[in-house]
Amino acid sequence: MRKMTYGEGIREGLRSKMLEDPNVVLLGEDVGPYGGTFGVTKGLWEQFGEERVRDTPISEGIIVGASVGAAATGLRPVAELMFIDFLTFGMDGLVNQAAKMRYMFGGKISVPLVLRLPAGGGISAGAQHSGSLEAWVTHVPGLKVVYPSNAQDAWGLMLTAIEDDNPVVYIESKVLYSKKFQVDDTVAAIPFGVASVKREGSDVSIITYGKQVEDALSAAKALAEEGIEAEVIDLRSLYPLDKEAIFASVAKTHRALVVTEEVKRGGFGGELSAMISELCFDELDAPVVRIGALNTPVPYSPALEAYVLPNTEDIIQGIKSMF
Amino acid sequence: MAELIVMPKLGLTMTEGTISNWRKAEGDTVAQGDILFDVETDKISNEVEAKLGGVLRKIIVEEGTVDIFQPVAVIGDANEDISALLGGGVMPVAEQVGTPADAGAAAATAGEASVHAASGRIKASPYAKKTAAGLSVDLQQVKGTGPQGRITEGDVRKYAIEGGSGAAPKVKISPAAAKEAAALGIDPSGLHKEGRIMKEDIRSIAAASSQTAVQAAVQEVKRVPMNSMRKIIAKRMLESQAVSPAVTYNMKLDTTALGALRQQLKDTLKVTYTDLLVSIVARSLLEFPLLNCSIEGTELVMRNYVNIGVAVGLEEGLVVPVVKNAYQKGLAEISQDVKRLAAGARSNTLTSDDLTGGTFTITNLGMYGMESFSPIINQPEVAILGVNAIVDTPVAINGEIIIRPLMNISLTADHRAVDGAVAAQFMQKIKAYVENPALLLL
Amino acid sequence: MRISKELLSGMYRKMQSIRKFEKTASTFFAEGKIPGFVHLYIGEEAIAVGACANLRDDDYITSTHRGHGHIVAKGGNLKYMMAELFGKETGYCKGKGGSMHIADAELGILGANGIVGAGHLIATGAAWSAQYRGSDQVSVCFFGDASTNQSTFHEAMNLASLWKLPVIFVCENNLYGISVSQARHQTIKDIAKRAEGYCMPSLTADGNDVVTVYEHVQEAVQRARNGEGPTLLEFKTYRQHGHFEGDPGAYRPKEEVEAWLQKDPIPRFEKYLTENKLMTAEELKQIEAEVDGEIQEALDFAFASDYPALESSVQGIYSDIIEEARSR
Repeated sequence: MRKMTYGEGIREGLRSKMLEDPNVVLLGEDVGPYGGTFGVTKGLWEQFGEERVRDTPISEGIIVGASVGAAATGLRPVAELMFIDFLTFGMDGLVNQAAKMRYMFGGKISVPLVLRLPAGGGISAGAQHSGSLEAWVTHVPGLKVVYPSNAQDAWGLMLTAIEDDNPVVYIESKVLYSKKFQVDDTVAAIPFGVASVKREGSDVSIITYGKQVEDALSAAKALAEEGIEAEVIDLRSLYPLDKEAIFASVAKTHRALVVTEEVKRGGFGGELSAMISELCFDELDAPVVRIGALNTPVPYSPALEAYVLPNTEDIIQGIKSMF
Repeated sequence: MAELIVMPKLGLTMTEGTISNWRKAEGDTVAQGDILFDVETDKISNEVEAKLGGVLRKIIVEEGTVDIFQPVAVIGDANEDISALLGGGVMPVAEQVGTPADAGAAAATAGEASVHAASGRIKASPYAKKTAAGLSVDLQQVKGTGPQGRITEGDVRKYAIEGGSGAAPKVKISPAAAKEAAALGIDPSGLHKEGRIMKEDIRSIAAASSQTAVQAAVQEVKRVPMNSMRKIIAKRMLESQAVSPAVTYNMKLDTTALGALRQQLKDTLKVTYTDLLVSIVARSLLEFPLLNCSIEGTELVMRNYVNIGVAVGLEEGLVVPVVKNAYQKGLAEISQDVKRLAAGARSNTLTSDDLTGGTFTITNLGMYGMESFSPIINQPEVAILGVNAIVDTPVAINGEIIIRPLMNISLTADHRAVDGAVAAQFMQKIKAYVENPALLLL
Repeated sequence: MRISKELLSGMYRKMQSIRKFEKTASTFFAEGKIPGFVHLYIGEEAIAVGACANLRDDDYITSTHRGHGHIVAKGGNLKYMMAELFGKETGYCKGKGGSMHIADAELGILGANGIVGAGHLIATGAAWSAQYRGSDQVSVCFFGDASTNQSTFHEAMNLASLWKLPVIFVCENNLYGISVSQARHQTIKDIAKRAEGYCMPSLTADGNDVVTVYEHVQEAVQRARNGEGPTLLEFKTYRQHGHFEGDPGAYRPKEEVEAWLQKDPIPRFEKYLTENKLMTAEELKQIEAEVDGEIQEALDFAFASDYPALESSVQGIYSDIIEEARSR
């Protein structure tokens, strides 16, 4: 075991696949000598050289679009957009091209690309640099979407993402980048669609992923002191989704709370909630509770931002409302 | 908009009801679902809920007997003019209350009047509904303690365990503590605590329970008014004793063969001794119509059918639902009827129809180890059969002492109609069937 | 420049294949047998054929919504194309793509594309891939005049030039973006000019002369293979049909249409071949007859094929996941 930050976990995932497969290439804004805006690719340019770690112009359309073309012709590109918010400029390449090519071309073309998207608020980055947009991508057939919550998973999920023959959206939590986690000495690929039970509990299931796993665990700890035992499910991959893990937990606890950092309206949390209500109806002893951000752009001022984003206390209150 | 409250029809055959008690006074604010008054019919007592909220402006009938659908009160806004309603007499309520087209609808009406507002849908969680179905609990009778009064799975289980005796008040308790309480058989609603009841609280209560019992032994006298069911029982038992010159006859039956029959049937149909006795008694009564009659003045009312009442003991009293046309029914059907009626009695969902029309009654105290008693006739019937415990007893057969399962039966019969010899022959008939059930095939 | 007779007759055969394929599609669309949107390449055949005559099977192309010509020119199979248009399971895309979404990775066809301007990025990415892998493959990006107003065009031109990528941007300037004439959608007349901003060589030429197209693309392909970077080639041309089948094209003056019909690339090429005694009229007739046979064969194949099984609709979205089918 050793301590490693979340950002280092991602980097080690990248590094090990780059050592293994010469067709793995990185591209994005400032991913080269600068090491990435959040330092994730630090040292990789020095190790693998200009050809494999390419700085691009500030030009998200071509970052995503060229990755599609490269992936369709034999490479395994890993592209970084500086913020998930910039996906708007890269959306066509991801949604109309990468996601649909295999299907609409009758399987004639594969697009094994990984798109890294730093997401979430909490650093006063303002409305255009703090988005949580997983609902946009989980909505698209043809994409796989993962969202690690710790360094070990970040590493293991990256290995799987790069090996996958389909386009994978790899969402990263900005506030976790410098947070340290215990990581095994060797990290194996973590299969997609396998959730991780971070805490067992008998009274309510908290379904979440990414940064909110931490919040959920804090909430569970506080609730335990009041006699409520919460189970915390870290989905890790949003698509494919480990429905069985969710259903098994709900069948055990009969109550579910879904917490995500997205704006609540139209979020992926809504999808999870609807799915539980639809498929676990008879197991529920209370309505599924959704916790998310307020329906606002993310404000800049720290007080406002903290007010808008969901936190541990929201989870605690949400759970108490079910009893 | 003020509305007249009328005497509800609580069963197919109900034509009038007696208001025994108003729970609300004139001027009280009433919420939808609040209990307004108690109503008694000759067989059943019920609580009537407000179907709309407002102020109880006028109680038209304080106490006494009212025909169904006749106005008993007015609910409306505090300052509303209700003179039109008071002057108007009978309103066309039949349309509103509806004429139940079948017994099912009637049962629903009766049930709704007890806990949930008739118009309001029952709020129960899906898991609670599933649990209720599994436990055969009628959600109409369960009081919800979840958010917004929703019935939770815990409410259903609590109801199932406690037989629906009173709705639990909302108790703030942690789920872990609730589980612990259920496991230890402790009712947490009796605990008074600031904040949430925790597992530790339950454990300390359990530890202190023996001491609590000692403390409870302090002498104390409390006057508890009879509930309406108790009142009905008291009145009817007294009447019976007053009118019937009753004699109780006892006879021991060997249940070896009956027990064997029950075993043989076990895989096909699980039947109780009560089921078997209902069947046997129904058959015997056809041969002894005097025990199946009733007395009106100087006439004996003889019948060519048999409806057997089966007494069901409840915490608040006793009801006698009736297996109709028992003489025509096979064992399976009888068993099903008895089960349904007993469950209905416990969940207070019996209709007047379930409780009327009996021609003979069976009452079983065998499960309490009773060996003999003298039951009181359920008027206007003329006889009642008491069933006692089956006791392994040494008997002399052909000069040898053998252990046999014997059951005493205690028949009380009205001597006005039934002489001792007839009663004895009737009991012999029953004995013959019990000891040699093959005769039932003849 | 001397072009071998074999190549010339091959180009002629491809042009006739495209023309006859498109005429057939037009007929069956009008009869309601081909559903959806069909954008025909009639009148522009010289560009796809002249360009692709320079390419190997392992070179890449990206196409547009008006893609049939590019697919045929790059060697696409007429039977699979026809079956796809009819929505049959034997089609290129198993009936899931249709006219606008035909691809064939084995022939380097990275797909026709329903999004105007999407191909710029993909072609550039493919060229980057070829460069990274150290192959001498090139990537040809076909696109229309109107797509040069998309950001994708500029992003792709910039990166291709910056990274010296082996990509040839082939603009088919047919003078209209759907109903909007070039003068109404951009201020320049010659799109080749836009290369200046990216330090990229470029030229404007007659797109209805297959030999001219062939020669210019040949030069650009050589530069690309030699690692000298991208080129922008603009070929002026004209589509003889509406934007899609069913569009009467009333926004175009009759005289303009007439004038361009006179410049139809196929009769022009026939004239060139016979006048220069490169091929005889009989040889051309023979090729035409053979193409007719191939088209008939493709039609027979399409008609004889089954529609795809409904459960195939949930298959092939991912390499490894089959989505839930409808349950009812």
